[in-house]
Amino acid sequence: MIVAAALLLGLAGCDDPHDATPAGTLTVLQEQQAAWVRNFNPLITTGGARWPTTAGIYEPLIIFNRAKGELTPWLATEWTWTEPARVLQLTTRSGVAWSDGKPFSADDVAFTFELLHRFPALDGSGVWTFVDAVRAVDASTVEFTFNRPYSPGVALVGNQAIVPRHVWEAVADPVSFTNPNPVATGPFTDIRRFDPQLWELGRNPHYWQEGEPKVDALRFPAVASNDQALLALVRGEVDWAGNFVPAIDRTYVARDPAHFHYWFPALGDTVFLYPQTTRPDLADVRVRRALSLAVDRAQVVRVAMYDYTHPAHVTGLSDGYTAWRRDDLAPDGGWVRFDPAAAAALLDEAGWALGADGLRHDATGAVLDLPIVCPAGWSDWVRAAQIVARNLGAIGISSRVEGLDFPSWFDRVTQGNFALAMGWSISGPTPYAFYRSLLGSATVKPVGTATATNWHRFGSPEADTLLAAFEATIDPVEQHRLAGELQRTFVESAPAIPLFPPPAWGEYSTERFTGFPSAANPYASLSPNAVPETLLVLTHLAPVDTRAAAR
Amino acid sequence: MSRGLLARLGLYAVAAWVAITLNFLLPRWMPGDPASALYARFQGRLEPSALDALRLTLGISDAPIGEQYVDYLGQLAHGELGTSLVYFPSPVSEVIAGGLGWTLFLAGGALIVAFTLGSTLGALAAWRRGGWLDSAVPPLLSLLGAFPYFWLAMAASWFLGFHLGWFPVRHAYGPEVQPGWTLAFAASTVRHAILPGATMVAASLGGWVLTMRNTMMGVLDDEPLRFAQARGLGPSRIFLHYGVRNALLPSLTSFGMALGFVLSGALLTEIVFAYPGQGYLLLQAVRGQDYPLLQGLFLTITLAVLGANAVVDVLVTALDPRTRG
Repeated sequence: MIVAAALLLGLAGCDDPHDATPAGTLTVLQEQQAAWVRNFNPLITTGGARWPTTAGIYEPLIIFNRAKGELTPWLATEWTWTEPARVLQLTTRSGVAWSDGKPFSADDVAFTFELLHRFPALDGSGVWTFVDAVRAVDASTVEFTFNRPYSPGVALVGNQAIVPRHVWEAVADPVSFTNPNPVATGPFTDIRRFDPQLWELGRNPHYWQEGEPKVDALRFPAVASNDQALLALVRGEVDWAGNFVPAIDRTYVARDPAHFHYWFPALGDTVFLYPQTTRPDLADVRVRRALSLAVDRAQVVRVAMYDYTHPAHVTGLSDGYTAWRRDDLAPDGGWVRFDPAAAAALLDEAGWALGADGLRHDATGAVLDLPIVCPAGWSDWVRAAQIVARNLGAIGISSRVEGLDFPSWFDRVTQGNFALAMGWSISGPTPYAFYRSLLGSATVKPVGTATATNWHRFGSPEADTLLAAFEATIDPVEQHRLAGELQRTFVESAPAIPLFPPPAWGEYSTERFTGFPSAANPYASLSPNAVPETLLVLTHLAPVDTRAAAR
Repeated sequence: MSRGLLARLGLYAVAAWVAITLNFLLPRWMPGDPASALYARFQGRLEPSALDALRLTLGISDAPIGEQYVDYLGQLAHGELGTSLVYFPSPVSEVIAGGLGWTLFLAGGALIVAFTLGSTLGALAAWRRGGWLDSAVPPLLSLLGAFPYFWLAMAASWFLGFHLGWFPVRHAYGPEVQPGWTLAFAASTVRHAILPGATMVAASLGGWVLTMRNTMMGVLDDEPLRFAQARGLGPSRIFLHYGVRNALLPSLTSFGMALGFVLSGALLTEIVFAYPGQGYLLLQAVRGQDYPLLQGLFLTITLAVLGANAVVDVLVTALDPRTRG
């Protein structure tokens, strides 16, 4: 037995992960799964498809590059409005072939959108809520007629992954189709291996970008926990990952400072503290501002986010919107600065006087009691909420964190059954969707009715006018003006309390590959979680040893 | 087959029906609906309208509960477990099949090793009462078992796997081999199972040793055995035929129960060592409110517990004449 153990130990001793990965094969960690399930359906909305399905196998018409804040032409080379904000014509790229060699055309685009129309379950972005008709005008032009002027529609239409008509025509039920062998236009389309714990995706021999991709194949080991992901990163077994890593300079970079890098730009959708504004106490803008002024965001960011990000801007806009953000609205930080004295003064003014018990009471003697609901397992949010509750306690508000299991929390927030709630926000290429979900009357539902956005249930008639004007204009200058006005409305009405923009997690090793985006070369978001921007990264990467990749 | 055994098997059938029915009801008592849970996992990265698309995709049923129950029983009779929601649109049977074999291999193997090793050590400790094996091993193993399992597994993974590099730290086999009936693949699976398996054995060994040691001592003190000794029966015959055989009965019953729990109990091991078993599936199914997957998993676990106990019952009946009714 001892001999056998020694033998196995000897075998184990020569286990070097680097020898196992062929040169030119890029190891990616994005999804956390214990075992892979073969699903490459780019149209299903359940998230059951493997990550590269819309990140490198199938491609959209237009890619929104969040790091640069611009739309990048992809399968569509240009787009024009033949009737402003109503009729959109896209020119499809010539010389694009599907991975089976058949040519790609505007007909495939029209077919894909017809499919979404026939099967509403596939229409995750709700394209058919504003589109009336789609037709291929000729082999390289596709025309979308909207049912109303809706300029934000271009990004939603552009973001749709396109599937080949000649394959999907024969699929009886595209909603339950697992598409085990994808035919696509992307840089990687060849499933070379598929085991429950490891699979490999080889390059598309017909890819339309000359000389791309330079990476031979992508490799995906199944890793179910963040600890395992960290272990793999530290051992240099992973070339590209999108994980949260605590104290990353010490735990990761220090292991190999020449090769191990990270870039955590604050491009994520701002995390909010939502006040339920139909409650009498929280309907008062002075109370909402007081809550915000009481929060020590610097501490929230330090404790909850390891200082990987910074306190939120008073407009709520993350760093993905620097081209839109107005700094003139509150030069001193406005109501997102930390000023408990000002917060206390606002509460006094609003009629919540500090009682002998150290708590705030109104004229009838009722206590200002605002518990915070938060998903129990989300440790970063729980930490943030705990600090907020303590900060609120410091100005006499009775508050505590109510950790709920995920579904219960979601039920409560979507139906408006809360006082304060931690929550995410909605984003898009322009601040339109963001402010529509924060200020638009159209998104307000009565308490008790579930809603996907506007959990705080706040509608502003002024914002409605601005949003309608935004939908109707295609002029970027006018759009910037309207977005500026929306920011002013947000700052004045303080409908929700922005805490911090979360970082877009991204780590990479230059030991075997180069060309990753970074703070010095921010051509796209580094995070593999930023789909389909990942296409920009995958077509930039190159093996360090070019001879090895030429095989 | 005796009447007592038949009655007992009938009891198992009733237990199975109760389990199947509870299996149907429990997930439906949980708050929220699976579409919301799925939507929520995207943390706002999905368009709000996707929530409606998801409800359509998953075909969330508003049918009366009685109708759903009849449908459920009908599908079950055909071996159909439905479509997983988290892994939509893969069938539950396919999702479970991916992990079940690995869990059985790892946790089942660890259980057999722990049971055999533990019972042997326990029996020997009782035989040489007061010897070094008896005084040193049980407390040491109990100490090891007292550590939180998660901590033990993480420490082993870090020290033996990462720091010393003696063992692979994840997966059931290496990336250099393809699954198949090859020697290289078999060697790789064994090598990958050692560390996670050893932590499971280390955590549970103490229990087996103590149980066996204590029962064995009682048995050896029994009058018939003293009589056998006095009659001059050989020590090995007394040890094996009269001692171990009798002392093993309670351990065997626990073994049957543990065998059933193997399927669910490997959760922590599988997470720490990224082992592709079904423990992690269970966690994901709960998080994603994946009723069909939950039901499929619970069903396999329940049936395994019942099945293992039925087998043990038969075995104990064979070994112990007193239980034959």
